[in-house]
Amino acid sequence: MLSDAYIILKKELKRLFTDKRTVFFMVVLPLVMLPLLYTVMGKISKSRSADIRSYRGTIFMVENQKDSPIYQEFRSIIEEKINAKINEIPESQIGVAKHLIAEKEAELLITFPENMDFAYIAIQPFDVHIYFNGASDYSSYLFRRTQEAIGSLADSLISSRLETLNIPTEILTPVTYNQTITSEEINLAKKGSEIGKAFGTLLPFIIILYLFVSSMQVGIDTVSGEKERGTLAILLVNQVGRVSIIIGKLLAVVCASFASALSSVIGLMIAGRYFLKDLFRSSAEMSEFVLNATQIIQLVVLLIPVAVLLVSLVLICATYARNSKEAAGLVMPLYMLVLIVSIGTSSMGETIPSWMYYTPIVNTVVGIKSVFMKTSAWGNVLIAGISSIVFSGILIYFMIKMFKNEKILFRI
Amino acid sequence: MIIIHDLKKIFENKKKGSVSYKEALKGISFVCKPGEIYGLLGPNGAGKTTTLRCISTLIKPTSGTITVNDYDVIKDDKQVRSIIGFFTSDMKLDGFFTPDYMMDYFGRLNKMTPKAIAERKEVLVKELHMEEFRNKKIDKLSTGMKQKTSIAISLIHNPDIIIFDEPTNGLDVITAKNVTDFLIKYAKEGKTVLISTHIMSVAEQICDRIGILIDGLIKEDGTLQEIIAENRANNLEDVFFKYLEVQDVE
Repeated sequence: MLSDAYIILKKELKRLFTDKRTVFFMVVLPLVMLPLLYTVMGKISKSRSADIRSYRGTIFMVENQKDSPIYQEFRSIIEEKINAKINEIPESQIGVAKHLIAEKEAELLITFPENMDFAYIAIQPFDVHIYFNGASDYSSYLFRRTQEAIGSLADSLISSRLETLNIPTEILTPVTYNQTITSEEINLAKKGSEIGKAFGTLLPFIIILYLFVSSMQVGIDTVSGEKERGTLAILLVNQVGRVSIIIGKLLAVVCASFASALSSVIGLMIAGRYFLKDLFRSSAEMSEFVLNATQIIQLVVLLIPVAVLLVSLVLICATYARNSKEAAGLVMPLYMLVLIVSIGTSSMGETIPSWMYYTPIVNTVVGIKSVFMKTSAWGNVLIAGISSIVFSGILIYFMIKMFKNEKILFRI
Repeated sequence: MIIIHDLKKIFENKKKGSVSYKEALKGISFVCKPGEIYGLLGPNGAGKTTTLRCISTLIKPTSGTITVNDYDVIKDDKQVRSIIGFFTSDMKLDGFFTPDYMMDYFGRLNKMTPKAIAERKEVLVKELHMEEFRNKKIDKLSTGMKQKTSIAISLIHNPDIIIFDEPTNGLDVITAKNVTDFLIKYAKEGKTVLISTHIMSVAEQICDRIGILIDGLIKEDGTLQEIIAENRANNLEDVFFKYLEVQDVE
């Protein structure tokens, strides 16, 4: 039986891995595309933020309080901290300024209350109005920077008040934190676990996604395609058993989906060198992220059974379907379900309910995540692996039944 | 030898909650002996392919018996599969491989040794005139070449029983002649050859005995001469259309 399965497996693998188109789409593309995509995304994002920071926008300041010392101080803070052109306008021009900001021809308008200096002396708060355009990146950036300038102004006014009262400014800061220690010293995360956390959020669903997508690409043609072309019938009238046919085809699709998932992971690792720090705002370096032998074995224990499970899901649809088109239609809802479950589980917090370890696919995502975060426990990994094997076994049993059922195999 | 007795096949069709039944074969019997070509002649939908699929163990008869060289198709399906070569013109081989590779592949699946496969390949390539295209990708081949490749892979294990479903369908005259000559040669070697066809001339030219299958029933079973004489007709076509007209009236 196994020798027949091996003959079929060899033929299917030859079909898959010597066809340039298939190899390109399944292996080369994820390997090249992901680094390329993320590098381009990273570069675009960096250049965009640099552009926003370097843009010299226009800030309108209403000049009705021009002679006020507070106004003068605020203006000098802005001039010092913000790269912007300041236009002082009369009150009568407020409407025009607002219109220009709405049209994205200027960025900010600042108005001051008339009794600002009196309010300060009377120790009453006064309200400065800052108008901006939330739809403009430049305007939003200047708004944030101006908020900081208001903060600086407030600090300066408080200091002046305290000086007048002969009270040291230190009275306002009875406690500080992490001022006498370096940021490297305060972060006690295990070496590489920060990058692992980043990968743990991203990689599990990407791995599941690639395993499923490539299973779909290959698995549907391997069974439904053969049904459609009439070649499955020829295989069935030969001396090869139906179980051998299923095992041979299943293993071939598992190999193909694994190759695709692996190349996508490698692609992502390469991309990680360029984009991870920006994406996750992590201070850790990629070189710190190394999986040890146990963690690699744990990944294998998690991934092989789940690959068999996903391929079985696809092949069961492909066996039932009359043709490739119908098979794709049957697989698509399962694909959406797997996708939602994987994304949902990937973005979960660190507390995992126990039922999740027994639920196929969910447990693999949780398991992969824990391996990358270096918090994996063998018990949970084994439960996940065994549960995937059990569910795969059930699916394969039904597939064998379907292969022996002429009503399914020769559906018209 | 293929012996079919009172073969019935009913297909169940479930659609939108309702179940319908189609009686594809209504109890047919015939015998196909070694050394002869038996032709199942009938229009589309008469039950020819269903009959051949039952014999080839692809589908199970609803009732009746089929024995192939004394093996029962239900009880001894594996033995039956080891002695039959099944071909259908509907088959579209994977265009990625070459005829040579496909012959190797099916040879291995039929438990042949590499030496036996190599020898058998040479015989088939010569008989089917496949020398020029045996190492070309199937995608690049003409319909006739593809058909020859399908025939070669179905006969790679040199089976005693040859079952061909519409073997000359879609072929040009030269390739069709090559295929029919090939079948005659195999019958002369003592093999049992069963074909289905809807082409009158094929049945007349190569079949030693003919079974006219109309609407799931064998209406005639005998040599060409016997059928024509019994029906007082001029040729097979007259007999065939006589039954088709009766069917239309019914």
